[in-house]
Amino acid sequence: MTFRQFAYRNVTRSKRKYAAYFVSSAFSVMIFFLCALFIFHPVISGALILDTAAKTMMMAEGIIYVFCSLFVLVSVGSFLQSRKLEFGILLMHGMTKQQLNKMVFLENMLIGGSAIFTGTLLGMLLGKLFLMIGSAFLGIPPLDFHLSWQAPVLTIISFMLLFVLISLCTFFFIGNESPRGMFQGGRRGDAEPHVHRWQALLSALLLLGGYVLAVLTTATTVEVMMFPVVAITVVGTYLFYTQLSLYVVEQLRRFRHFYWQRMRIITFSGLSYRWKDNGRMFFMVTIVSAVSFTSVGVFASIHTLSRELKLDYPAAVGYVAKGGAASSTAVQDLDGIESELKQLGLTYDTLSIPVKYADVAAQSGPDHTERLPLMAYSDYRLALQYAGFDSSEPPLEGHDGLVMIGSQRDRSLISERVKATYTLEQGTDIREVGYTQHVPVAEYLLPELDGRGGGDFSGLVVSDSLYNTIVPVQQDIYYGFYMEDFPRTVGIASSLADGGKVAYEHRANYAVVVSGTLFEIQRTLYSTMLFASLLVGTVFFIAAGSFLYFRLYMDLEHDRFQYSALSKMGFTDQELDRSVTQQLALMFFVPVLLAILHSVFAFIALQRLFYLSIAAETGAVLAGYLAAQGIYFFFIRSRYLRNLKKNLL
Amino acid sequence: MPLLDVHNLSKIYEGKVSIHALNHIRFAVEKGEFVGIMGPSGSGKTTLLNVIATIDEPTSGQVMISGRDPNLLGRKEKALFRRKELGFVFQHFNLLDTLTVEENVVLPLTLSGSSVAEMEKRLAEVASRLDIAGLLHKRTYEISGGQMQRVAIARAMIHRPSLILADEPTGSLDSKASEEVMGLLAEVNEAEGATVLMVTHDAVAASFCHRVIFIKDGRFYSEMYRGSSRAAFFQNIIDMLSLLGGAGHDLSAIRL
Repeated sequence: MTFRQFAYRNVTRSKRKYAAYFVSSAFSVMIFFLCALFIFHPVISGALILDTAAKTMMMAEGIIYVFCSLFVLVSVGSFLQSRKLEFGILLMHGMTKQQLNKMVFLENMLIGGSAIFTGTLLGMLLGKLFLMIGSAFLGIPPLDFHLSWQAPVLTIISFMLLFVLISLCTFFFIGNESPRGMFQGGRRGDAEPHVHRWQALLSALLLLGGYVLAVLTTATTVEVMMFPVVAITVVGTYLFYTQLSLYVVEQLRRFRHFYWQRMRIITFSGLSYRWKDNGRMFFMVTIVSAVSFTSVGVFASIHTLSRELKLDYPAAVGYVAKGGAASSTAVQDLDGIESELKQLGLTYDTLSIPVKYADVAAQSGPDHTERLPLMAYSDYRLALQYAGFDSSEPPLEGHDGLVMIGSQRDRSLISERVKATYTLEQGTDIREVGYTQHVPVAEYLLPELDGRGGGDFSGLVVSDSLYNTIVPVQQDIYYGFYMEDFPRTVGIASSLADGGKVAYEHRANYAVVVSGTLFEIQRTLYSTMLFASLLVGTVFFIAAGSFLYFRLYMDLEHDRFQYSALSKMGFTDQELDRSVTQQLALMFFVPVLLAILHSVFAFIALQRLFYLSIAAETGAVLAGYLAAQGIYFFFIRSRYLRNLKKNLL
Repeated sequence: MPLLDVHNLSKIYEGKVSIHALNHIRFAVEKGEFVGIMGPSGSGKTTLLNVIATIDEPTSGQVMISGRDPNLLGRKEKALFRRKELGFVFQHFNLLDTLTVEENVVLPLTLSGSSVAEMEKRLAEVASRLDIAGLLHKRTYEISGGQMQRVAIARAMIHRPSLILADEPTGSLDSKASEEVMGLLAEVNEAEGATVLMVTHDAVAASFCHRVIFIKDGRFYSEMYRGSSRAAFFQNIIDMLSLLGGAGHDLSAIRL
């Protein structure tokens, strides 16, 4: 037996131990490879609109890579921990530290290398399928299978690097103790878990606080609150696993009437041990799952996006000619748009509305708008009518004005905003009395009001009589092309705006918004993100499963011993099944349920940013994850029970 | 009627080479008796104990415990039978390291669903009997081997089983702890009237029994009663063991 053979046999003869780790690594490699295949596909890398898709996938690659490094590091660390006794024996027999390092390095590279090989091979096999799914997600025609040289090279090199670096890192983990210390390494549970009442309490407070803050968040505070709330929840979760849950079990153990009940005594004591050993792992699983649930849930809500877009962009194509009505460029631009629409065979209604600008001399409240866009009430009604919005707003009177919202998102900001009264340079007063129910003119087409609360409030609607008295310092004309089938306007007016919009603040003498193009860009972005987060989520899910598997595998020997003693004492098979099932169920589902709870509160907070409900989509995502976890649970449970009973009686 | 009646018990392990582990063994144990089973390695002691403990099935013959044959029961009923009628003391103690000492001791009662008051009452009784009252709140890894075996004996007797089965109870103990544990086991047998059947290699441990049955190659070889002097009984056991032969390591160091 050569040294290499020795290392090889060490690995292949404990296949079971490394099974989940290997599967999880190979799966990550495969996903990484598939993403690379997608990014370097000539169709994707060539197209303009798909550029964002490629960038998103690149980010997914990065996340998978970083996560994989952590996963491999943690896994390898725990494998080494579990082999202390073996290393002790080898060192006793005169193996040098260098040889030990070499052996561990060879073993790691063997597993890593075969994971890379398997992952890449599987990736090549599934490549076409993946490209088909990917293009269906993005709504583009199916991509041909094209193996660019970059994809395998990137995958193999980056994962080789990862495994080599981590294997080198392990040199610091092992063999520094004396062989005698290593002999004792295998012993389990030498100390009662340390639980502090105040830390347990703190955990409950932090989790509760995080949830309450998440519920109380408003649209204006969501950005400010996000990081502290996330931090509070993460710390709370960590303490939940390492302190609170143990504390609760410890308290329960004091109630003999509860605890000294048939198998409860076995189940709970076993559970508190597993919990103590695995608290950190559960913590990681929870956080990772919560992140993937939340991101998948948010991106799964694309369908609400198109509904939302219709409300935010009343005209399929909106154009504002700044300053002058009939400047020759404006006429030219509008003619161009019309001919393009006709070419596509789209029927549309046009509407033009004058918008007057008045200089503001003074304004109440904290904001300072310099130039105020004004629209007549009758024009506003006309705009709504063309857009097909119903509204029950009564006509305006006197010096009252309604603030135009630039998007439905602004509604959530209304409660925070202070209503102002403006005094114009010409001496007229205008008082804000409320907000328009609908978006008359899409955002980007009018300058925004100054506001520290953010939002896209864009000028006032005033009564026709007041409007007529205004002496404008500038007058713009808004042209809207209205139609039902707005997504078909994608690519219109690309000579004016290739990204689908030119904002008013831009230096050009026009502003334009093409909702079809904007929709397409957003849709591509969101569906790639959904796709990417689904992929990353699956990698997370499999890795979390692998951690659980390994921990259970490590406990198997101990449990086998314990259950064979119990069985001799008269523990029936049914009781054994039930006790094991209860313990496993808690291990499998508590982290996932806590993650779901976290993400539900995250959704509640994020909901403030969306005008329409995202509950249905996120619910579906969570149910899907729960179902997958359920299947995994039953699979592992049956295998575990079979192994447990193998040499029982 | 004897408490335990082993009748023409045979056990054959089938395989490429079938092994006749037990060959028409018959003996009986009366209620309140303390019986040791000795024999060289491979003589079938542990198989015998396993068959009596219902965790192995005889090929032929019968084991009657309190007039019932547990081998006729189904798997679940067997478990319930063990839980109620038998107490176990193992060589490696088999205490559950996730439980405290007292939880280990009351385990048989919790499994059968006794009330907490009842458990606490019995716990106090056995704890004082086995002198483990001071250890009750400790964890199993905080106490010594002798203490662990005392806890295991407490666990084996707390539910007042008809029969306590001990498999090499002194096998993992030093000689001082062995004597202490055997003394307690004898005392439990004496004072509580518990019936004990013990398999052992250790002549010192065996000398605490009322009677020792010797088996060799799965057959009954001879048996020996203690009489009044334990020292003389010990010497007789040693003589018998040397007559039985077997590998040298089976014998504890001869103490003359």
